[in-house]
Amino acid sequence: MSDEELEQILSSEDALAPSSGFARGVMAAVRTEVAAPPPLPFPWLRFFVGIGACLVMAAAGAALSVQADGIVRDIAVTLRGTGPELGYAAIALVGSLALARFPRVFARD
Amino acid sequence: MGEPNDDDADLARVQAGDPEAFEGIVRRWQGRLIGLAWRFCRDRAAAEDMAQEAFLKAFRSLATFRRESKFSTWLTAVALNTYRSRLRSDGLPLLAMEPTRAISVAPVALADLQEQERTEAVRRLVLTLPRRYREAIVVYYFEERDLAESARVLGIAEGTLKARLHRGRELLKRRGAEKTR
Repeated sequence: MSDEELEQILSSEDALAPSSGFARGVMAAVRTEVAAPPPLPFPWLRFFVGIGACLVMAAAGAALSVQADGIVRDIAVTLRGTGPELGYAAIALVGSLALARFPRVFARD
Repeated sequence: MGEPNDDDADLARVQAGDPEAFEGIVRRWQGRLIGLAWRFCRDRAAAEDMAQEAFLKAFRSLATFRRESKFSTWLTAVALNTYRSRLRSDGLPLLAMEPTRAISVAPVALADLQEQERTEAVRRLVLTLPRRYREAIVVYYFEERDLAESARVLGIAEGTLKARLHRGRELLKRRGAEKTR
């Protein structure tokens, strides 16, 4: 294909006439758009109040944990003492869940 | 194509809160926007659908139109962006190749038909080009080979457009030759 031939083909495209209802369809879509309620704005005030509250809580938590260092150590010692009981509780929980599943497996068959 | 004064009057009315004035803009520019969409998809229904989406996008953005460029340039650029995102999300259309209706056609008409099919095949080949070359070729010939206006619509420098046109035409010729082999 020569350059002239290609140029001729690309520049000789016929115009496409719109279908009769095209403008009406566009205007119907425009009217729907205008009638639609405006999108809800992002609640920036609530967002910043929430962020502020989180920061206050985090600061308060950090201050309390520094003050209550001794209390935390006591809790850790107490929890270490209840190790076996926690293990029993975990085994009982797993056993209960297994017992609850067992009949369902048979029921499916 | 639209008369600038009519566009200005309708634009002012729409921007003042009268959406009905947009109908004048739609009626004046519908042929142009459908024509551009057609060159990107070569499917009439899809072209009208894409053009409707472009008009809606233009309607939503009219408040931001600052008259720094011509309305026609702005509207064509909005349409081009709409078609670009549409083709990116939906992909290029599957083009049905019409079977040759050569039976019982007179020899002269047959030659015409073959020529038409060849022309259409070349135009469809444009759609297979990489995006940057496809857009350059479609917009440049759509804008009746106005290099400056095409570059403004595409948002690129004239030199870049020239390079893309050259490369696009070379690719087209090569692909055309491969097809006829």
